[in-house]
Amino acid sequence: MASASDESLRSRIIGLLTSGLATDVYPRADSHEQVQRLVCDLRLAGDDLEAKLKLAGFTSYPIEHAGITQLCETCMYYKVHQRFCELPELNVPVEPDWSCKLWRI
Amino acid sequence: MTNLLWLQGGACSGNTMSFLNAEEPSACDLVTDFGINVLWHPSLGLELGENLKKLLNALTSGQMPLDIFVFEGTVVNAPNGTGEWNRFAGRPMKDWVTDLAKVAGYTVAIGDCATYGGIPATAPNPSESQGLQFLKRQQGGYLGTSYRSKAGLPVINIPGCPAHPDWITQIVVAVATGRGAELSLDEFQRPKTFFTSFTQTGCTRNMHFAYKVSATEYGQRKGCLFYDLGCRGPMTHSPCNRILWNRQSSKTRAGMPCMGCTEPEFPFFELAPGTVFKTQTLMGVPKDLPSGVDKAGYVKLTAAAKAASPAWAEEDIFVV
Repeated sequence: MASASDESLRSRIIGLLTSGLATDVYPRADSHEQVQRLVCDLRLAGDDLEAKLKLAGFTSYPIEHAGITQLCETCMYYKVHQRFCELPELNVPVEPDWSCKLWRI
Repeated sequence: MTNLLWLQGGACSGNTMSFLNAEEPSACDLVTDFGINVLWHPSLGLELGENLKKLLNALTSGQMPLDIFVFEGTVVNAPNGTGEWNRFAGRPMKDWVTDLAKVAGYTVAIGDCATYGGIPATAPNPSESQGLQFLKRQQGGYLGTSYRSKAGLPVINIPGCPAHPDWITQIVVAVATGRGAELSLDEFQRPKTFFTSFTQTGCTRNMHFAYKVSATEYGQRKGCLFYDLGCRGPMTHSPCNRILWNRQSSKTRAGMPCMGCTEPEFPFFELAPGTVFKTQTLMGVPKDLPSGVDKAGYVKLTAAAKAASPAWAEEDIFVV
């Protein structure tokens, strides 16, 4: 179950995304090397939430890429019952229909 | 009595360590219960210098029968095909391998180096290493495709880094007790009895594999290691989760990914930075999928399984 602090953080993220926070949605991190580079950048961003959302290309809507809809819901890092992304470098509450560049299945 | 000779080429002695830890049967059982006469072994042999040469010459000349020739490590050909970088008993080891393989009843390659070249044969392969009858997936190796031991079998490959102790002793016993002809080998000359199922077969994390719950750090008490941490269990042939290590556990049970060390390509991706213990993906989909699964099927299955996953799958279940 999601905790109160998760709900609070989720609300903050929704606020940022819907109020026009520009995130780096493209280019997608297609290759392993691109993913690794992005993960390194996320580590450097530390706890800076806005920087993490921007770097990871967060969107509050699904992104279709290469014929596959890249939803948090189907991502390997998504915890279904907690609605949470457990990629250590992100580690944030999310919604199932969101998307980011680190999606992997 | 069955005469067994064990030699080492380009090796770290890991398979010797493994062999000496065997339990079912143990190395001692081979001698006391199964009539195996260990003529010489790098860690057990008593003969040195001229005495060792005499023993080896007696074998190569046929004066003494060599029933089982066990080889650990690569055949080293450097420099320039001479094999001089790995001399043993007065001559290049590869020359001993040539002569001993000709007279051996059975030739058994132990460990990934002797079978397929392993780590020493990784590019740029400075030691010009080869496995006995393979170089990675390519058949041939040092002895050549057509090699057959006197019993009519190709090299029996028991891969692994190291090979499990009991795989070694059980195959040696099978050969020594006259059941060598019953051994059925796969395309990479591995005994099918050990190398038909997958490392994943019997893995305690199979529930997490089924529900697509990933482990994201080593040693986590939940999650499958395939999705993020580069585990090769679903596409590696070995009984590591059926015949447990130290009778206790396995890498995946302990939260460490399988590296696929019983497959000819090991070490995968030539050990390029970022490829070890990290699942390689292309557009978010693993490059290497579980054996027999195609990309479209994988995506569909994963999405459905993820949606169906129960809450407990997201929690630690291996509680101390």
